[in-house]
Amino acid sequence: MAEVVYILCALTSAACAVLLLRAWRRTRMKLLLYSGLCFSVLTVNNVLLFVDLVLIPAGDLSLARTLASLAGGSVLLFGLIWDVS
Amino acid sequence: MLKTLLDGAVMMAYLACALFFLRFYLQSKDRLFALFSLAFTLMGLHNVLGTVVGPDLDTERIHYLFVVRLVAYLLILGAIWDKNRAGRKPR
Repeated sequence: MAEVVYILCALTSAACAVLLLRAWRRTRMKLLLYSGLCFSVLTVNNVLLFVDLVLIPAGDLSLARTLASLAGGSVLLFGLIWDVS
Repeated sequence: MLKTLLDGAVMMAYLACALFFLRFYLQSKDRLFALFSLAFTLMGLHNVLGTVVGPDLDTERIHYLFVVRLVAYLLILGAIWDKNRAGRKPR
């Protein structure tokens, strides 16, 4: 069950990233670019989550996961403040 | 300590993004922004839960927390699907 949740998290975030970046290529709206980049980084975070909790449970990648989350949130926040508003 | 600090920063970033999307929704009345705002609020909530409740959960139940994150991602997918569907409607 846990593995399914982690895999679905990674797949859905990757789908969000692809759909948002495809929409950005079509419309060139900056908000879509930053949202797509945010979800790309969050996909990395979710892959790290799967590696950390399922593949290598003995290791601890929690700091790397938090840094990836922070990078994703920061990219979008930067875009919202600097480019979109 | 450093991780808790960074988790707080992540939560703040998500909630700030949620507020931006809420403002866009109030300006445009576009449902996409409302769903994005809700999704980012859920992601912030997931971060708080992960920091506050997470350490007390055993490894068998920790994945329940990530269901909140999954719901947030599904909301984003739903918002994009809803927007694309609206765009295809004949005018």
